[in-house]
Amino acid sequence: MLDISRSVAKKDHAPKTNGSAMYVGDFAPDGLLYGQLVRSPYARAKVLGITLPPLPEGYFTVDASDVPGVNQVHIVKDDTPVFAEDTVEFIGDPVLMLVGPNEEEVARLAAAVQVAYEPLPAVTDIQSADTAFFTYQFGRGDVAQAFHTADKVYEESFETGYQEQAYLETQGLMADYVDGKVTVHGSLQCPYYIHGALIKALGLSPDRVRVVQDATGGGFGGKEDYPSILACQVAVAAIKANGKPVRVWFGRREDIEFTSKRHPSLCVYKVAVKDGRVTAMDIDVTFNAGAYTTLSAVVLQRGIIASPGVYEVPNLRVQGRAVKTNTVPNGAYRGFGAPQTFFAVEMMMDHIARDRGEDPLKFKLANASVQGAMTSTSGRYHFPVPLPRMAETVRHMSGYDQKWQAYAAPQTGRYRKGIGMSIWFHGAGFTGSGERDHIKAVTKLHKYADGRVEILASQAEIGQGICTTLCKIVANELNLPLDSVFYEYPDTDRVPDSGPTVASRSLMTVGELLRRAAIRLRSQWRDGEEQVVEEHFTEPDFVIPFHIETFEGDAYPTYAWAACAAEVTVDTLTGVNSLTGVWACFDVGTPMDENIVMGQMEGGLLQGLGYASMEQMAADRQGRIRNNSFTDYIIPTSVDVPVMQVKLHVEEYPHGPYGAKGAGELPLVGAAAAYMAAMEQALGANIRHIPFSAEDALHILTENQKEVR
Amino acid sequence: MVNGYTPTSLAEALAIRAREIVTPYAGGTDLMIDERREGSYLFLHRVQEMKGIRREGELLCLGAACTYTALMESALTPALLKEAIALIAAPAIRNEGTIGGNIANGSPKADSALIFFVADASLRLASVRGERVMPIRDFYLGRKQLALMPDELIVEVLLPMTWMEHYCYEKVGARKALAISRVAFAGLMTIRDGVIQHAATAFGSVSDVIIRKPELDAMLIGKTVAQAKAVRDAYLEAYREVIVPIRGRVSAEYRKQVCVNLLTEFLSQHGI
Amino acid sequence: MDNSIEFILNGQPVTYRGSATARLLDVLRDTYRQTGVKCGCKEGECGACSIILDGRLVNSCMVAMGRVGGSDVLTIEGYALTPQFKVLDAAYASVSAAQCGYCIPGMLLASECVLRTHPNPTEEQIREGISGNLCRCTGYNAIVKAVQSAAKEGAGLW
Repeated sequence: MLDISRSVAKKDHAPKTNGSAMYVGDFAPDGLLYGQLVRSPYARAKVLGITLPPLPEGYFTVDASDVPGVNQVHIVKDDTPVFAEDTVEFIGDPVLMLVGPNEEEVARLAAAVQVAYEPLPAVTDIQSADTAFFTYQFGRGDVAQAFHTADKVYEESFETGYQEQAYLETQGLMADYVDGKVTVHGSLQCPYYIHGALIKALGLSPDRVRVVQDATGGGFGGKEDYPSILACQVAVAAIKANGKPVRVWFGRREDIEFTSKRHPSLCVYKVAVKDGRVTAMDIDVTFNAGAYTTLSAVVLQRGIIASPGVYEVPNLRVQGRAVKTNTVPNGAYRGFGAPQTFFAVEMMMDHIARDRGEDPLKFKLANASVQGAMTSTSGRYHFPVPLPRMAETVRHMSGYDQKWQAYAAPQTGRYRKGIGMSIWFHGAGFTGSGERDHIKAVTKLHKYADGRVEILASQAEIGQGICTTLCKIVANELNLPLDSVFYEYPDTDRVPDSGPTVASRSLMTVGELLRRAAIRLRSQWRDGEEQVVEEHFTEPDFVIPFHIETFEGDAYPTYAWAACAAEVTVDTLTGVNSLTGVWACFDVGTPMDENIVMGQMEGGLLQGLGYASMEQMAADRQGRIRNNSFTDYIIPTSVDVPVMQVKLHVEEYPHGPYGAKGAGELPLVGAAAAYMAAMEQALGANIRHIPFSAEDALHILTENQKEVR
Repeated sequence: MVNGYTPTSLAEALAIRAREIVTPYAGGTDLMIDERREGSYLFLHRVQEMKGIRREGELLCLGAACTYTALMESALTPALLKEAIALIAAPAIRNEGTIGGNIANGSPKADSALIFFVADASLRLASVRGERVMPIRDFYLGRKQLALMPDELIVEVLLPMTWMEHYCYEKVGARKALAISRVAFAGLMTIRDGVIQHAATAFGSVSDVIIRKPELDAMLIGKTVAQAKAVRDAYLEAYREVIVPIRGRVSAEYRKQVCVNLLTEFLSQHGI
Repeated sequence: MDNSIEFILNGQPVTYRGSATARLLDVLRDTYRQTGVKCGCKEGECGACSIILDGRLVNSCMVAMGRVGGSDVLTIEGYALTPQFKVLDAAYASVSAAQCGYCIPGMLLASECVLRTHPNPTEEQIREGISGNLCRCTGYNAIVKAVQSAAKEGAGLW
């Protein structure tokens, strides 16, 4: 183990345990005003008019007419309005905000606002969607010929559901407008995304907009794009509030029902197999984008690039669409499109193996890519692909071989067991050339006269430990004690734009920039003087340029790898299953802090297991999210999972700090497939959708029984 | 003006209940879910007559304001009730939640009420007008509808202990803690010298009210195991007819199938 | 509403004047500025607002002020001053059990209650004891380990 991997007490530990950390809901400034959004009750409707109740002094509303700049939230395509104008496009689309000094009174008045609507026809499910926001296609080879000459062709469809990030702290932001300058602070992942959105919506120059992160109670992607929307709304209210601060802090139900989630998906796979090798895949991916485009383009890109899984597929055709429905817009959630397609491809490969009478793991490894092989986008796996060794590790940890054989034999009695394994990757960092063309990250190190060094970057500490790992890197290069290097919550008035806290990029990309900055500072170090060094992103030379028009080139410079086994026991009387073991091996390069990386791996893994099973959420025909509380949208508790056994495998990435590469998203991506593979063995049937409920399991058991009879 | 009363005796509590319009607050764990904080609460946690756990012959008298935790910690509490309580919510809820509140909430999902149903428990109700004892089955009139008069309080649950020793309990939730029952089953069966002395079953979370059909269970009582086997199919068929689930977080079909599966399993555990 | 409700908050007697039906969670945060008591759902489903009431773990969102009269309330702010906290805090730090931190004040108080009941807890007892406290970050492994290590390090304290 490298010295840098040795765990330290996290920099943000003390305020988080003694209760002194200030989250956005914890501030109580004088004159605080509370904002409550008034939302559409219709999936689609024309807004005819607004009638306000009599407003006591100090209470006011803001709507589209109060937006001083452009009534659009800058995300990617900017079709999301700050407040709805002529039409509302989903249940929850905000029409106006009611603001005032007493929270209960604000809620009462907001409920008394009457908006006249003319309901319009709405599309509320993926099957009936007729508008594609984005369509992409790519591939290579001769797919038709490969299907023609195949030993067998398999075709199956897979569906995945919503997943709610379920961060423990709900979304919340505060804003004030003082001396012509807007300040927004609160729970967020990407200060400069918000900064850009505010400039456009408020029509202010960059220097008159300031964004500051507060302690943030989890993000998982949920606070990547949504805070840009909320920030514009709160800031518009603040401008009208005459210097008083305005806060909007969602209750749990409002947060679950009206903020972004993982895209539900429908994937159709057609796979040709010849002589035990996959020779072609024809893949059609549809993501439910919801009512506005928000991040769907980039989520879809990652999803389809990952759609052939870790497998080497000489003939490939991939089509992806993100379709519009009149439902809550979906956005970023850890894995960013890849969990959907990895579920599909891993189940597909399981089903083919079972049809061939082979151990799925053997079949998968026989078809897996190796170093130097072509990626789905005709780029290269430039670095070692350690899947065989990692799978071997997991086989030994879990006792996979013996268990797989034992459970493959006919099982009788009330409880049945199964074990399954999945293998996957996660492309490290932004998809394609985003880092080079769009983000252009800049970081600084500020050395004070007393010798302390401050990191200036826009990375958000959201629990993943970035404020500790970045400091460790800089302290290591400068040979300073960790106490002498510090990193505050980012403030756009003080820090350069080192990019958003997304895509498992922060440590790998920004960490490396800071390492280089530290090396430079070390070489220029002058005792007792204040010094500042600045470092800019440069793309490594080996990268094959990526072209988004053709989806050709290196979509990612490198990949993090995973293998995971899950073991289940299913109660044949109720369909209820119990996870009896979870074993995983992850390669995220060199861990910058072993505890921190293990915490990321274990936490992400459990989110993936929840995604497969208990995390059920559906929109009804009216387009309303039904499971909108922690009673109805349930996530795993401490007793729902055994000790997850995780081991790290290290393939150093030469362009990441000390060999580190992307980590945060990896553990979630393919966990559902391992879980469902285990369920398939226990149930003796193929599974093609998640979340998979006890009711689904009992249904299969009943059907099996009928067949036996 | 005050909107909370904290009596320390039953007489005081009943006098307030008769005089004012108040919502009885036992543990608060259902009441506080409601966002509205209207009206006045009658806090019952200091009413000593509602906190006792005592044995009177074959009856176990449980104060309605006993928390789940208090029952878990009592040596008098039967194992079946402890097993059900152990699966209710999580420790923090069990520390405040009470059996009286669980009953008065009027939900068919009440996990402790299921045990009181299968055991044919009664409730001691009191008002300034006097007391009455009512079988718990008669207390539930429908979904959220109770035979509780506006001036009454549930004071005690009277739990017959005769047949509590041999039991079966199954809770089907969507996870292992903080789980609302999708189906819950409790069964009692005492077999002595090959003869069924007692049989009772109850199904929670299925219909508007917990299902308890002693007239069907009577088909088994007094019979030898072999005789019971002979009526097994008729017994299961009779239950298939009375289990009419409502759709909720899971489908009615699923609920029914699980009920029948668990009932069948309960019989086969006893060789029936 | 002018109920007058006296209780002990972190060892100090206080008198709350207000509604008896108000949530303890709101009163602790708004009136007494105990912002370490976190609000995650207000439905008793997440445990972020856990406090210790008369020696037992409760969700402060599920408690009305009228219930609190004459009682002893311990929040993370008060608990942070105890020797038990020191041991648990160090144990949490040693395995980096705090990620986003939002569940942590409640989780620490739940951990304290586990150790009060079971000074040498089994893994199962720890998991059961914290089962009402949701954590979305850690997958619970680290928290379980922290409580196990606190039991060892703080032998005799509980």
